[in-house]
Amino acid sequence: MDGGRGGVDRVFAALGDAGRRSLVEAVAARGTATATELAAELPVTRQAVAKQLSALADAGLLQATRAGRETRYEVTPAPLDDAVDWMISVGAAWDERLAALRRSLAKKT
Amino acid sequence: MEIEREIIVPEAPDEVWEALTEPERLEEWFATEVELDAREGGEGVFRWGDGDERRAVVRELEEHERLVLDWDEGGSVAIELRPAEAGTLVRVVESSPQFSLALELRAVAWTAAAAA
Repeated sequence: MDGGRGGVDRVFAALGDAGRRSLVEAVAARGTATATELAAELPVTRQAVAKQLSALADAGLLQATRAGRETRYEVTPAPLDDAVDWMISVGAAWDERLAALRRSLAKKT
Repeated sequence: MEIEREIIVPEAPDEVWEALTEPERLEEWFATEVELDAREGGEGVFRWGDGDERRAVVRELEEHERLVLDWDEGGSVAIELRPAEAGTLVRVVESSPQFSLALELRAVAWTAAAAA
C-alpha cells in the first residue's frame, strides 16, 4: 500500500529546498520564465538558477522548452496532483492498517 | 497538512500498546517485516511486501499512551492511546512538511496554468 512513491519522493525532494520552492512559485507567477529572467529578480546567479530549474524539470515539476539559446520553463501541475493522490493513499493505508490492528487485537483476546 | 484517523478498539490501552511496540505484533498489522527498538531514540526499520522500506527513529514514547516516530525521509507519525468507555481510542496522525507544500504549490500551479 506504500508503493508507487518513487515519483512522489522525487517531487517532495525537489520541493524540500526553499530556493527551488521559490523558483517554482516565481515561474508559476510569470507563467513562463527563463533562468536569465529569474536571476534578474532573485538574489542568485543565473547559473545557480539554471541548475535548480533543471533539477525541477527532472522531477517533472517544470516543463522545459528550448527558445533560441535559452530554455524556457513553465510549471506542470500534474506531479503535484500525484503528490496529493499519494496523500490520499496514505490515508487509505491507515484505514487498512487500523482494520488489521483491530483484527490482530481480537485474535489475541 | 496532516492525515488523522481514529478508531476505538475493545482492548485496554496496555494490550494495544504491545501491538504498537513489539515488532512481531507490528508485523500483524503495520508492515510485513519490522525491527523496532521501542525506546526514545531507538531505531525502526519497516518493510512491506512490495519492496518498500522506511526507516524511523522513536522521537517520543510514553508507555501505554503515546508513540511518535520520525521518518528518515521526513515527516512523522504519532499514535496516541486514550482509555475509552468501551476500550481504547487509537488516534493516528501522520504529518509531512511536504504535504502542505505540495498542496500550496498545486494551487499556485493550477492558477498559473489556468491563466496561461
